[in-house]
Amino acid sequence: MSDEEHHFESKADAGASKTYPQQAGTIRKGGHIVIKNRPCKVVEVSTSKTGKHGHAKCHFVAIDIFTGKKLEDIVPSSHNCDVPHVNRTDYQLIDISEDGFVSLLTENGNTKDDLRLPTDDTLLAQVKDGFAEGKDLVLSVMSAMGEEQICGIKDIGPK
Amino acid sequence: MGEALKYSIMDSVRSVVFKESENLEGSCTKIEGYDFNKGVNYAELIKSMVSTGFQASNLGDAIAIVNQMLDWRLSHELPTEDCSEEERDVAYRESVTCKIFLGFTSNLVSSGVRDTVRYLVQHRMVDVVVTTAGGIEEDLIKCLAPTYKGDFSLPGASLRSKGLNRIGNLLVPNDNYCKFENWIIPVFDQMYEEQINEKVLWTPSKVIARLGKEINDETSYLYWAYKNRIPVFCPGLTDGSLGDMLYFHSFKKGDPDNPDLNPGLVIDIVGDIRAMNGEAVHAGLRKTGMIILGGGLPKHHVCNANMMRNGADFAVFINTAQEFDGSDSGARPDEAVSWGKIRGGAKTVKVHCDATIAFPILVAETFAAKSKEFSQIRCQV
Repeated sequence: MSDEEHHFESKADAGASKTYPQQAGTIRKGGHIVIKNRPCKVVEVSTSKTGKHGHAKCHFVAIDIFTGKKLEDIVPSSHNCDVPHVNRTDYQLIDISEDGFVSLLTENGNTKDDLRLPTDDTLLAQVKDGFAEGKDLVLSVMSAMGEEQICGIKDIGPK
Repeated sequence: MGEALKYSIMDSVRSVVFKESENLEGSCTKIEGYDFNKGVNYAELIKSMVSTGFQASNLGDAIAIVNQMLDWRLSHELPTEDCSEEERDVAYRESVTCKIFLGFTSNLVSSGVRDTVRYLVQHRMVDVVVTTAGGIEEDLIKCLAPTYKGDFSLPGASLRSKGLNRIGNLLVPNDNYCKFENWIIPVFDQMYEEQINEKVLWTPSKVIARLGKEINDETSYLYWAYKNRIPVFCPGLTDGSLGDMLYFHSFKKGDPDNPDLNPGLVIDIVGDIRAMNGEAVHAGLRKTGMIILGGGLPKHHVCNANMMRNGADFAVFINTAQEFDGSDSGARPDEAVSWGKIRGGAKTVKVHCDATIAFPILVAETFAAKSKEFSQIRCQV
């Protein structure tokens, strides 16, 4: 593997921070948050005012965007939380290899071969069946905190 | 109606109405109050309570019973047939005192009774302390920020909008609890590290001793309890702001999906029931006395532990709870006798009075009055 290829494979945000700080009290349902070092999507926020329990608090229920696991956290509302940079990029599907990896076409014409097939059964079936039927498929790839996963599928071929 | 019948009816009525009384002279205290013509003499005024009647008399009785607790020595009892040589030693028998269990509710720590408790613990005048979560945290919070006097009638909604919490006619600002949170969370973090790295298994009383060490403030009774190694038991440790803090801390440190790998801070209440009952069981030749202010958990916990040694020998309850609802809080000492928590022949009294009035007076006439004896005798034990 040449140095040049290696250069292309490095991500666009390499070196940039994987997260940014945001005050807990301003994080809303549908936003993102890091809980126990995992990037999550917030599904529930409840707040309690300052009281016998001390400082005002935000209670977050959130879903790990990659594993789907439910996580909870309670943070004083004036404190900063880590919020992950979450990106979605679309790639055209070129090939599915036997070892479970996919080959994708990047915008600048290179291939991206480091992603596994999705673990979600419905999505997995859609990708496999669609590819077997010879459809032109575009896969959405979600990335956050150095992790990537296929999270969506679009059929762009003629009907 | 015949004359004879009329006469016998009158006779029987008379015998009922004018029943001859038993002579009480000498066997009962004569009721009389303090005579202010003698000037304002507080010592005499308090001494007059026992002869005043009603709860003044009960308070007088409580003072007498606590003094009996403090004066009792094993040397006052005859040695049993089977006791060892060491137990027969006069000096040893003179050194064995009554073990005193002090229980109080959290509102009393919010009040100035906290300082009376601190005095008792500071001078090792009691052996075991039992309270509720508020009885722990309010002591610590007072080292960080004061509690203020308010009024019973202050409206709740307006206090809420001002961030003030009411305890009877006392006020505690929310800010006090924020300061408490800032203080206690790093302590919990440290305790958690010790649990993980040094395999410390915390119990409520160990946590409380640690908090007393950390607060390092001579106005705190927990500080003195830590210093004097007087155990403070609180099986309801989570029922208060302390519980709120432990709840938040569990999100920071614990993982509910992986309790084996990461249980968060663990506090073992079983370790403490063993220790608490042990205080009663291993009292040995000592008699035990209970002084319980208020009802609820502290009252029952002290009594229950004493059941393990077939009951306490002295009991003084000071509370205003009533017994008609069957609550343990309102139960008179005699109910505890039925459970074996107080001995049949024990000296007991219940003073139906707010402990903020009765307890400082009780201490003034008992523990504080004997402070010199304490510095001599009790410190050797």
